[in-house]
Amino acid sequence: MTDAATPALEIHDLTVSYHRKPVLWGIDVAITPGQLVGIIGPNGAGKSTLIKSCMGLLPVSGGWVKVFGKPLREATGRVGYVPQRESVDWDFPVSVLDVVLMGRYGRLGLGRRPGKADREAARACLDKVQLLPFANRQISNLSGGQQQRVFLARALAQEADLYFMDEPFAGVDAATETAIITVLRELRSAGKTILVVHHDLPTARQYFDRLLLLNMNVIAFGPTEEVFTAELLQKTYGGRLTLLSEVAQALGAGANAGGGDRA
Amino acid sequence: MSRGPTPKVERVVPNAFERRDPAPNKRVGVNALHRPLLWFFALLATSAVARAAGVNDLARGGDGFWVQAARFASLTDPSVRYALAGALLLGLGCGLLGGFIVVRKMALVGDALSHAVLPGVAAGFLWAGTKDPVAIFIGATIAGLLGTATVSAITSTTRLKEDTALGLVLTSYFALGICMLTMIQRLPNGNQSGIGTFLFGQAAALGADDIGLMSIVTAAVVGVVLLGYKELLVTSFDPGFARSAGLPTAWIHHTLMFLLAAAVVVALQAVGVVLVSAMLITPAAAAYLLTDRLHRMLLLAAGFGMVSGVVGAFGSFVGQGLPTGPLMVLAASTVFAGAFLFGPRHGVIARWWRQRSERGRTRRENALKAMFHLWEEDDFGPEGVALNDFAQRRRSTLEEIGVVVRELATHDLVTLDREMVYFTPAGRLRAGEIVRNHRLWELYLTESANIAPDHVHDDAERIEHVLGEATVRALERRLNYAKIDPHGKLIPSPRELHRAEHDALERPAGPGRSGGGEGGRS
Amino acid sequence: MMEDFIPVFDFHQVVVAPWTEHLPLFGWVALMGFFVAAACGLVGNYLILRRMALMGDAVSHSVLPGLVIAFLLSNSRGTLPMFIGALVAGAVTTVLIELIHRNSRVKQDAAIGIAFSALFAVGVLLVSLYADKIDLDADCVLFGEIAFVPLEAQVMLGSWALGPESVVRMGLVLVAVGTGVIVFYKELLVSSFDAGLSRTLGINPAVFHYGLMAMLSIVVVGAFEAVGAILVIAMLILPGATASLLTTRLGVIHLLSLAQALVCSMAGVMLGVWLDCSIAAAMVLAGAGLFVLAWIFSPTQGLLQRWRRH
Repeated sequence: MTDAATPALEIHDLTVSYHRKPVLWGIDVAITPGQLVGIIGPNGAGKSTLIKSCMGLLPVSGGWVKVFGKPLREATGRVGYVPQRESVDWDFPVSVLDVVLMGRYGRLGLGRRPGKADREAARACLDKVQLLPFANRQISNLSGGQQQRVFLARALAQEADLYFMDEPFAGVDAATETAIITVLRELRSAGKTILVVHHDLPTARQYFDRLLLLNMNVIAFGPTEEVFTAELLQKTYGGRLTLLSEVAQALGAGANAGGGDRA
Repeated sequence: MSRGPTPKVERVVPNAFERRDPAPNKRVGVNALHRPLLWFFALLATSAVARAAGVNDLARGGDGFWVQAARFASLTDPSVRYALAGALLLGLGCGLLGGFIVVRKMALVGDALSHAVLPGVAAGFLWAGTKDPVAIFIGATIAGLLGTATVSAITSTTRLKEDTALGLVLTSYFALGICMLTMIQRLPNGNQSGIGTFLFGQAAALGADDIGLMSIVTAAVVGVVLLGYKELLVTSFDPGFARSAGLPTAWIHHTLMFLLAAAVVVALQAVGVVLVSAMLITPAAAAYLLTDRLHRMLLLAAGFGMVSGVVGAFGSFVGQGLPTGPLMVLAASTVFAGAFLFGPRHGVIARWWRQRSERGRTRRENALKAMFHLWEEDDFGPEGVALNDFAQRRRSTLEEIGVVVRELATHDLVTLDREMVYFTPAGRLRAGEIVRNHRLWELYLTESANIAPDHVHDDAERIEHVLGEATVRALERRLNYAKIDPHGKLIPSPRELHRAEHDALERPAGPGRSGGGEGGRS
Repeated sequence: MMEDFIPVFDFHQVVVAPWTEHLPLFGWVALMGFFVAAACGLVGNYLILRRMALMGDAVSHSVLPGLVIAFLLSNSRGTLPMFIGALVAGAVTTVLIELIHRNSRVKQDAAIGIAFSALFAVGVLLVSLYADKIDLDADCVLFGEIAFVPLEAQVMLGSWALGPESVVRMGLVLVAVGTGVIVFYKELLVSSFDAGLSRTLGINPAVFHYGLMAMLSIVVVGAFEAVGAILVIAMLILPGATASLLTTRLGVIHLLSLAQALVCSMAGVMLGVWLDCSIAAAMVLAGAGLFVLAWIFSPTQGLLQRWRRH
């Protein structure tokens, strides 16, 4: 279905702003399929913003994103998502299995209920993250690590080809961390492409094939061993781009921007 | 004190079935103004009763608007004086407290509280046996506080969220109140209760006792706000800090809630249970749009509250006893709409105007920049830029470019002389700055931010118009005062421009103009 | 005075009679109460889950001007103008709230308060001015007149009387809402739980948001004459709030809220007969009573359970 030459994800000159204040400038990235990519950078560097705008969850003020050579709209169903744990209400009245089943909703038509096959698939995904015994629990009765694994199982149930994961390792126990990375590696071996927002430098080096160093724009993107250098990390975290963020502030404050014709 | 004989109120009671008939006098709410004609004539017939009636009933004499307005303004009628005093007091109290409600983001707490007082109103009435203001005040305050306590009990002991708890308490207490009120209506003295005015408010029903109570409560509100201003300010802004600074935040909160309950209760008679929360929120929100300081906001909110109160009372008087509450709320909403649209800084129109003038400036600067590019291609020669070249460069017609040039000329940036456009000194300076900003930014993006040279132009197009003096200096330092941009062009500083111009004058005419536009010039 | 206030409890009169000799009257009242509480409950469950309970508050108030204007313009009290008026009013409220809090620094809660109180004030004034024309009065606006339901004109299907107009109308609304909840169960679930996921799955959460608001407007206006603007909020929130103290499954919450609707409408009729008060308010009171019971005795989250654990 996909020839190797088509990148799983191609981002061209992507600019994203919140309230006219730019958060990402001119991002250019092309990721070939079958990679496990870590996105790292300091707080406020726009990591979550990057993956959210790749999935069309945030409005984009410039540039474009293509998934397997197609605009995002035509590629729904091939994209899976693991949001940050805090983004949902864990008191919501659903069971663990219900949440995992949500991953299957995209492939069911309007008005159709998930059937037996979907249930089986969901249970298999739960088994992969070792949560099968918890299938009928209400989701608030889970530890943080277990909640994260539920999200992972849901993403597996989506059976996507490209996954975006927002800090899946944040605040989880060691067992969960191992379980997650095992699953991620399995996915990669199955030819899937995975982008993971990550904040821990030492493990970043172990976990990922490629790293995307981000701080409002792409500082570096390449194989981990080439990119994980003191110099580039210093450049990413060292705040060399204070001017850029200063100007971003000015843009947000000044009521201007946007309009104006081109000379 | 004149309190009208409240018309007979038939309620929705099961036994009412037989009484339901297609005739218009199905039921007559205390506030339902357009009483059936028959009832009206009956009222007129018993003229003694009519004279004793409240403001709204007096108003039925058929006088014109202006007569009524004059009567209101002359303040001869005692009930007008009471209504006016009540409106002012309630506007003041609600406005002041509303300011805190809005900045503490408790708007809907006020709403829940104001509905929750209803069973207390009924209980107070039952206890005293008449519409005794003090009994009702005590009952209603207790009910209101109980309501807010129930909300916090629900949110702290269950998984239900605050919005659910608020909605739940609001309507459950209200339902209890309605049950009790409809039960009171069928008591022997119930029909005289006039308790229906508590639903939508009737300023004309205020009496001397009510005004006395309102004065006390409003004085307490003003006193607490004056004495505890800084404590209220800091706990509203940063409760965590206030606690760490040793302030009794819980007590301050409870005091505020108590005052809120008291203010709501005394306002009930005039505004009604249903809309009193709007008198807390709307004037304060309007004030919030107009100022950035809490004390000014409180003063404005109190002012808006009083104005809305008076307008409502007036409207109710001349409008033949329309319910006061909705009129006050509409007046307050109008004030809010005014602030929302016409506020000098945060108003929609002001912002739209700013954006428009900002766009105008961007348009002019882009035109200047294009002109600069033409001039640059001419190696900064002394001749102006031909209108033709200018139009060609901007891909526009001669007429369009004419409009732009005239606009530039009115801003003293260029002069137009026989189809040739010349920079004024100010225009030349500004054009140089824009181009300089643009090129500095492009250089910065490519050198420091690793952005490909073919991506930087669009960004720079936006940035060039907003770079401040300080940022430009910082950019220069960062780029080691570079003179050449990524596309190999000069980054013009005023001094360089001057030198370039000078060079152009030194050069013999002719060969120097090699890079110029294609033959448009004569 | 107290003896007059609370009448003697006559078991036959209160508990038996409404369902035997007075069934032709109270049967319709109870049925109407059930339809209203059930339809509101189904919609309200989603409002609670989406933390939009106060949008229910807002829409229930602001439907009033829509209703009154629709009646005045169409010069009738037909069902179609009524629903159109409600939908327009619901849309205006939603847009107004968005407009205020997007374009100014007023927060959303205050924006809700401002928008609905202004619209409601307009509605009340219109009712006061044109009460005789539209046959609504200001008090009915607050707590409805459910007791008059049995006296309405009957809807005829051929020669067979279906029932009073508003009961039939509310029944249809309930069927529509129920169908919507069943057909779009998974879409409503996922868009309420995780809007981000919903979008990546190709289920546009905005569509379901506005769909829900439209449903809310319809339900509220159908219930308006029976229970008024304020009690309808209770009908929206109470069933779901009670149910979510008892279970942690959405499907079960729906079923429990239907059961709660049934119990509170019947208990409300009996309470209303006993105390001789507004039946709609008595229904809400009965619902609140059920909520309090659940709050105290819930096996998982109840107060008793909490005390025992400490």
